[in-house]
Amino acid sequence: MTLTEEQIRRYSRHIILPEVGGRGQKRIMEASVLLAGLGGAGSAAALYLAAAGVGRIVLWDPAPVTEADLTSAIAHTRDRLGQSRAASAAEPLRAINPEVEVIVEESEERAAARLNADWVVLLSTEPWQPLHDQALKQGARVVACGAHGTGGAVTLFQPGGPCLACLDANYLHTAGLYGEEAGEAPLAAAAGVIGLMAAAEVIKLILGKGISLAGRLLTYDGWNAAVCEHKLEGRGNCPVCGA
Amino acid sequence: MHAHFTQEEQERLARSSVLLVGAGGLGSPVAYQLAAAGVGRIGLCDMDRVDVSNLQRQVLHTTFDAGRLKVESAADKLRALNPNVVVETHPVAITRENAMDLISGYDLVMAGADNFATRYLVNDACVMLGKPVVHGAVFRWDGQISVFDPKSGGPCYRCLYPSPPPPGAVPSCAVAGVIGVLPGVVGSMMAMEALKLLSGRGSTLTNRLLLCSTLTMDFTEVQVQRNPDCPVCGDHPTVTELIDYEAFCGGVGQ
Repeated sequence: MTLTEEQIRRYSRHIILPEVGGRGQKRIMEASVLLAGLGGAGSAAALYLAAAGVGRIVLWDPAPVTEADLTSAIAHTRDRLGQSRAASAAEPLRAINPEVEVIVEESEERAAARLNADWVVLLSTEPWQPLHDQALKQGARVVACGAHGTGGAVTLFQPGGPCLACLDANYLHTAGLYGEEAGEAPLAAAAGVIGLMAAAEVIKLILGKGISLAGRLLTYDGWNAAVCEHKLEGRGNCPVCGA
Repeated sequence: MHAHFTQEEQERLARSSVLLVGAGGLGSPVAYQLAAAGVGRIGLCDMDRVDVSNLQRQVLHTTFDAGRLKVESAADKLRALNPNVVVETHPVAITRENAMDLISGYDLVMAGADNFATRYLVNDACVMLGKPVVHGAVFRWDGQISVFDPKSGGPCYRCLYPSPPPPGAVPSCAVAGVIGVLPGVVGSMMAMEALKLLSGRGSTLTNRLLLCSTLTMDFTEVQVQRNPDCPVCGDHPTVTELIDYEAFCGGVGQ
């Protein structure tokens, strides 16, 4: 694949970064990402991943867009109330970047069946465990994030661990790492911070650059503008990630 | 602490107004998120038109908006999200001639300009008018966020950066590049700071500069202080009216 002149213009701010370059941009354009959850964090991430040029974006979120979503999420609009959140989010993604293949998946099972080691999953909706377990077993990496109220948490689960199955569930929950609809609806600003941290992680995984969030949990507390990092260690002998 | 603003705080947001200097990389998340939160009036100041090279990160604009004024493209998106928000468009460059008029119509300024002359201009005008500024900047994979609010005892932009870098010493986004997700992270944090300033709740980044690297996912906080000798917000200011910022920064578009 050679970048066209139009693509070179569109992605020029990426291409001139030493960590991206033409080769990195092509990796982004050949990448596949599954977004499970298109509430505040998931939909903010989705807009930016489409803008960045991620080749194939699969959206899974059958919940209908409600009034509450319009205060949490920037990808939905008033005239799409009642549509599924995945279908609603697909519209601005296609408008921002028609080059991206945007697929609305209605079945979680079918979405999960697509996954292999080339995929990255951005998980922000409950229930986490089944999709997470299947993704890791099929070799995919899972960026998990939870935005609630004015803050939230984000980390990376990957084969080799640690992962959701071998970490202390209570600890993760206390830190805010659980699905968006299981807690207080986030402000769009807080969901943006969490969702964009997660999207940054997805882009780095695709590029194979930087230091990932494996074993690191980042929390954001919007009332205090505080970002904290917590080290994560699995229990060992994990049947899911093998750590 | 609970997320939701009390009814009184929410009403305060609805009565408040914010001016965005720049409706591009940082302005995109800021505008969307302030509209979603119910800020009553949002002013957008940007003279640029949407270019294809913006679309990699400026999610307010779509491929079909290429060539349109950014403020008009942005206003459409904000009204679709929240029709109750009053969106005011200022398709002009902010200059020493219009800055005081523009800024005095708003409670707060979001400064995400892409050049130093505009940063100093906005800073000085806001100090003179007593308006708080939410500051954000992005460079390659790195960003910074702070709140400049000398009225509450914090520093201004000039306290941190008394003089601009030599022309050409800091390359622009077009020359240095920027990872697309970065203005999303920085702009979202800026929006949260604005909501705290406007609602009167929470602890803002006044006296603190938050630095972030998305490549390593490191976030560092630096304490910053007001400089009593600052020429603009210090005890004995020497800059008491707006100056020629192009000359101060050593030329246009450097």
